[in-house]
Amino acid sequence: MTLFALQLRSEFIKLFSRKRTYIGFGVFVAIELALISLLNMDVVQRSLQRVISRSGYAAEEYLSGLTLALLVLVWSVFLLASLYLALVSGDLVSKEVEDGTMRMILCRPISRLRILVIKALAGFAYTIILVVFIAVTALGAGLIYGGAGGLFVFVPTEGLFALYDFNTGLTRYAWAIPCLALSLTTISALGFFFSCMNIKPAAATIMTLSVFLVDMIMKNIPYFEDIRGWFLTTKMNAWLGMFEYQIPWESMVADYTVLMAINASLLVIAWAIFELRDFKS
Amino acid sequence: MPPASFSCSPEENEVLEIDGISKVFRGRQALHPLTLEIKKGEIFGLLGHNGAGKSTTFGITLGHVRPDTGEVRVAGHSVQKDRARALHRVGAIFETPAFHGYLSGWRNLEMLVTLTAKPDPVRMRAMIDLVGLTKRINDPVSVYSHGMRQRLALAQALLPDPEFIILDEPSEGLDPEGIQEMRNLILRLRDEHGLTVLLSSHLLSEVEQICSRIAILNQGKMVFCGSWKDSPPSQARWILEVDDWAHATPVLTALGCTVVSEGEIGAPSSGDISDLVRALVQAQVSVRRVEPIKWSLENFYLEHTRE
Repeated sequence: MTLFALQLRSEFIKLFSRKRTYIGFGVFVAIELALISLLNMDVVQRSLQRVISRSGYAAEEYLSGLTLALLVLVWSVFLLASLYLALVSGDLVSKEVEDGTMRMILCRPISRLRILVIKALAGFAYTIILVVFIAVTALGAGLIYGGAGGLFVFVPTEGLFALYDFNTGLTRYAWAIPCLALSLTTISALGFFFSCMNIKPAAATIMTLSVFLVDMIMKNIPYFEDIRGWFLTTKMNAWLGMFEYQIPWESMVADYTVLMAINASLLVIAWAIFELRDFKS
Repeated sequence: MPPASFSCSPEENEVLEIDGISKVFRGRQALHPLTLEIKKGEIFGLLGHNGAGKSTTFGITLGHVRPDTGEVRVAGHSVQKDRARALHRVGAIFETPAFHGYLSGWRNLEMLVTLTAKPDPVRMRAMIDLVGLTKRINDPVSVYSHGMRQRLALAQALLPDPEFIILDEPSEGLDPEGIQEMRNLILRLRDEHGLTVLLSSHLLSEVEQICSRIAILNQGKMVFCGSWKDSPPSQARWILEVDDWAHATPVLTALGCTVVSEGEIGAPSSGDISDLVRALVQAQVSVRRVEPIKWSLENFYLEHTRE
């Protein structure tokens, strides 16, 4: 193993040896089970059946595990995953500074840039692992409760309505997961950016969530209708494009290019801040 | 009074060269221009009250803090320009050692080694043996005592096979036995491994026993640098108890003595204390106690840092 791989491995050991890293995983399993139980209630089922039937489709065919899994993702992933990603990414640097372990690290002749690259990679890897975990467990729980069947996609806020058979639906669901993970890397990049500042870990988490929530709230204010497309959370919703009949590749690429540019800018500024900082108790 | 920029240069095979470094934190001059050199195989003590500038000096030496002026060179390489090369063979314990409490001592060491090299389990075990942590190395650090953390910190400092080691308060929080072990270990590292050591400590008796030279920082300025034993006081210190200081003071001043406080005086080393006592008695001052104060690093330090 190369030295870089060993350093990355050490960062993962640190990350996955801490209990708070697993909070997100545990809470999501509980939330998924709770949401799927609610979706299986007669009242909710009737409401969903009405929406599908009105479009001329057989409701029983599309009220499946796949549909339940997607609903769980759409309703919960942005808010909750953002919370846990902000918690973990906000800790990456600032917690080590607060605990004094960063001083121990900086006693070794390792460059500050390398420390940040390793930590950022660990943070992004955590984002991917969390999203894949959420998607797979949501699908697993959905299939157990709802069984196999077509995928019913209904996201009114994004003007999205589509129905797919099981195979096409599963393929679209599978492709949407890496896109969702890519969207959420922006939350991790934000958390990492604040974590590199001279602030407490809790402050870094709160700042990250504040930016995210303010963006989300402002996006929904009617006055900003004309510039809605430029909000961070609008760009982050690009993953839902995978469920449109005609996948809007062009706009998705454009949205993800903007998100990646934001991520890169945040990382570069974070590096500049970290590089110029004095580390003193 | 010493000059604002005090220079301290032994002028032979220097391992550490601190060249005019200074630092201002939020408008406060934490460190005035400091120049200092430490030669190979030396155990050098950096002393000062809390906030005197020791941590800033260590921080700049390790590249944690950016100096406003000057630079630090280790084995000829600038820490500010080429930190990786300069610190290649430097080990350090800087401020209170902090580890990941939820991981074992072994895992913590392995992670710190991995920052610069592939871990060598044989060398790791040897260092763990050296600091006496063999039996507890697989326990989580959260259950370690302060002394055990200090030993673990020393093991990590020694792992990169350093030529130069920085020890910030290495004996802090250790019990008397631990302090003695730490002292012997530092001496062994110098004698057997040829290590150069820069240490800070508030335990002046320890510094007195192991350091060949010291520097004293006071409010960010270096007020002394060199061998304190080679700098005997111009006046010998005495404990003096008399019944009337108002009458005694002019007599003492006339004899060239300095009244440090009511109870302590400095008398010319060339003079005879019996002459002084006789003069006081003749001036109707009752002398209750006269006792020499042993010249120690503590006195020396306090004299240089007294406001």
